[in-house]
Amino acid sequence: MIKKEMIAMLLAGGQGSRLGVLTSKVAKPAVAFGGKYRIIDFPLSNCINSGVDTVGVLTQYQPLRLNSHIGIGIPWDLDRNVGGVTVLPPYEKVENTEWYTGTANAIYQNLTYMESFHPDYVLILSGDHIYKMDYEVMLDFHKAHNADVSIAVMPVPTEEASRFGIVVTDENGRIQEFQEKPAEPKSNLASMGIYIFSWNALKDALIALSGQSGCDFGKHVIPYCHEKGETLVAYQFNGYWKDVGTLGSYWEANMELIDIIPEFNLYEEFWKIYTKNDILPPQYVSADSVIERCLIGDGSEIYGKAYNSIIGCGVVIEEGAVVRDSIIMQNTVIKAGADIYKAIIAENVVVGENVKMGVGEEVPNRLKPSVYAFGLVVVGENSVIPANVSIGKNTAITGVTVPEDYPDGYLGGGETLDVENRSAQNRRETMERLSSDMINDAGQEKAGDVL
Amino acid sequence: MILAGGNSYRMKELSNRRAIAAMPMAGSFRAIDFALSSMSNSSIQKVAVLTQFNSRSLDQHLSSSKWWDFGRKQGGLFIFPPMLTTDNSHWYRGTADAIHQNLDFLRQCHEPYVVIASGDGIYKLDYTKVLEYHIAKKADITVVCKELPPSEDITRFGLVQMDEDSRIVRFDEKPMAAASNIVSCGIYVVRRRLLIELIEQAVYEGRHDFVRDVLIRYKDVKRIYGYRMEGYWSNIASVESYYRTNMDFLKKDVRDYFFREHPDVHSKVDDNPPAKYNPGSNVKNSLVANGCIINGTVENSVIFKNVFVGNNCIIKNSIILNDVYLGDNVYLENCIVESRGTIRADSRIVGGEAENPRIVIESDNRYVMQ
Repeated sequence: MIKKEMIAMLLAGGQGSRLGVLTSKVAKPAVAFGGKYRIIDFPLSNCINSGVDTVGVLTQYQPLRLNSHIGIGIPWDLDRNVGGVTVLPPYEKVENTEWYTGTANAIYQNLTYMESFHPDYVLILSGDHIYKMDYEVMLDFHKAHNADVSIAVMPVPTEEASRFGIVVTDENGRIQEFQEKPAEPKSNLASMGIYIFSWNALKDALIALSGQSGCDFGKHVIPYCHEKGETLVAYQFNGYWKDVGTLGSYWEANMELIDIIPEFNLYEEFWKIYTKNDILPPQYVSADSVIERCLIGDGSEIYGKAYNSIIGCGVVIEEGAVVRDSIIMQNTVIKAGADIYKAIIAENVVVGENVKMGVGEEVPNRLKPSVYAFGLVVVGENSVIPANVSIGKNTAITGVTVPEDYPDGYLGGGETLDVENRSAQNRRETMERLSSDMINDAGQEKAGDVL
Repeated sequence: MILAGGNSYRMKELSNRRAIAAMPMAGSFRAIDFALSSMSNSSIQKVAVLTQFNSRSLDQHLSSSKWWDFGRKQGGLFIFPPMLTTDNSHWYRGTADAIHQNLDFLRQCHEPYVVIASGDGIYKLDYTKVLEYHIAKKADITVVCKELPPSEDITRFGLVQMDEDSRIVRFDEKPMAAASNIVSCGIYVVRRRLLIELIEQAVYEGRHDFVRDVLIRYKDVKRIYGYRMEGYWSNIASVESYYRTNMDFLKKDVRDYFFREHPDVHSKVDDNPPAKYNPGSNVKNSLVANGCIINGTVENSVIFKNVFVGNNCIIKNSIILNDVYLGDNVYLENCIVESRGTIRADSRIVGGEAENPRIVIESDNRYVMQ
């Protein structure tokens, strides 16, 4: 019989709209982090390092990159005969076919998957946090307290507590009360969105709440279990944990890796973080380059200058280009003479010669002031930025842009330039022209044959 | 079949710990990756690696076949060290003997052709092209050859001379004086049944070397052809050429050829973080592999995986192999630092010229508690 003591369900279907153009084509868990990783590598590595070898990854929003990254789980040693990693997208059913409408609804739709492993416990994780945590220790805590539900919590500064879901516990760690983003928090323990359920408690709750629309763990399942009188305990975690849900916190968490001995240290032998390596060769640093305070991924070629930056795999920084305080992701090319300041540039972007990024005063973004803030320039994947343009702060660019998109060669602070749809239009037109040309050619050939 | 069991006195102390085929190369590879990747990229699905000398190092590198995509139901990656049997109690006494001791494997294969390669060549080669050539020439054995510039010392290779049809008319193994500048790359294509016959005959006569006792001996009897390789090729089996081949990767055209052009070279994946450049790092014209932490100056050097370079270090024209720790204020010039070494702070080590880099082996155990 197949039997796993604890299996993990990893919620990776969210868009993460607060990451703006970074997640316009990939799910948040697939966004690059720290030079060679993707965000989902952290919970996946935690799983295998904690001895959890059965992980269901629930995908919904833009799953392609996530699917190809996870594959059969080789990098995390999750390619198993029994268990291992399984990608679980929503699927069609005889009745009630629906998307995943909420976190708990997504788990509910995969009851059969979980049941096939006859688990005693189910670990619920989200795919958008940066941390190292031993889930086995949390499970021991869960067992020691005879709990039905354990919620991982961490202390946050009291003044920030109103941004989080707060749990109030008694002296034994038993949860008394929940406060969702309270104005006057009664405690400073914030829920991390990591739960261990005893299987029966989870199954009962999910079936009882199956009619709930948008069924969510924080909003519905946990309160349901609490009201039912089940034992809910808070497991306090004191290590590094970062929600990289906003561009500001994403940028900050990356920058923290550069410290000489960072709080979140990727260089420790213990508790390694695994990822899929597409690019193996070493990086090349030319005779004219200057690199200071940087993390640089494999296969990159640096001919210019880089200060205080996180540079992904296969990036090229050409002669005379300067990159400061920025995050450059995989396979992006920064052409000669470009000057990049405080930018997040996604994968496969081409930044033209002498482009200046992050110039001028900080102006709030006109379209999405809460997303594109922090003085950052954000460039979506596969974008092209033409040569010799300047770009202000709090801006976002995505798509293949041309010089005409930059009046007077300048994109002012706070502007958003999204030509994604236009480029699709262009592509379509080009394709149509090409195919009609081919038909014409073929027609002429035929005519020639007859003659 | 990859012949990876040999040792060479030309590698000096570098071969004390490992097989030549397991030598770290180009920052994040091992020598045998180039032969293995070429095979994988040429759709060869069944590969046997014959190991003997310091075979542990190679076994560790080849612990899983998945990195080269040899985890197949049909075929796969096989590691064959010598073994005792009821009718054999010898080590591999030579290349032909090594194949002979694994003739059962060859007999049980169904593939019509065998590629024999060595594990110490750095190249990319589409073996299907060689096979097409072999068939087109109706050759019995095809030898992959490379024309080297006259400046190179080629007397440690097998030298071939071909007629206008590319049939090999003369083959000198490691001659005192070079009669041609075309060397054999140690890569052969031969029909499997013919190989079995030739090897059986050679060993029956007490001959154990594939080049001397098969290629040269049968040169006029069998149709032995040379296939000229176009791209980069280098053999690393001497300290000088090992050093030079690594330094070649500092050239853009060599890097682009191996790392950016199709097909890719594969290797075992280590789970190292990106390389880190701390304040005070000053890296010029160098290759740096993943997991390194750089605090000092590095010039014209190749830094392999997981190397720590301390404050105020100056590293020039050197090769630092995997997992080396360099204390503060170390000065290194023209050195090859053996892997897992710890160079104490304030050390100053200067090797000879590029033809004669100094091999630095430090066994200071940094994990010992004082």
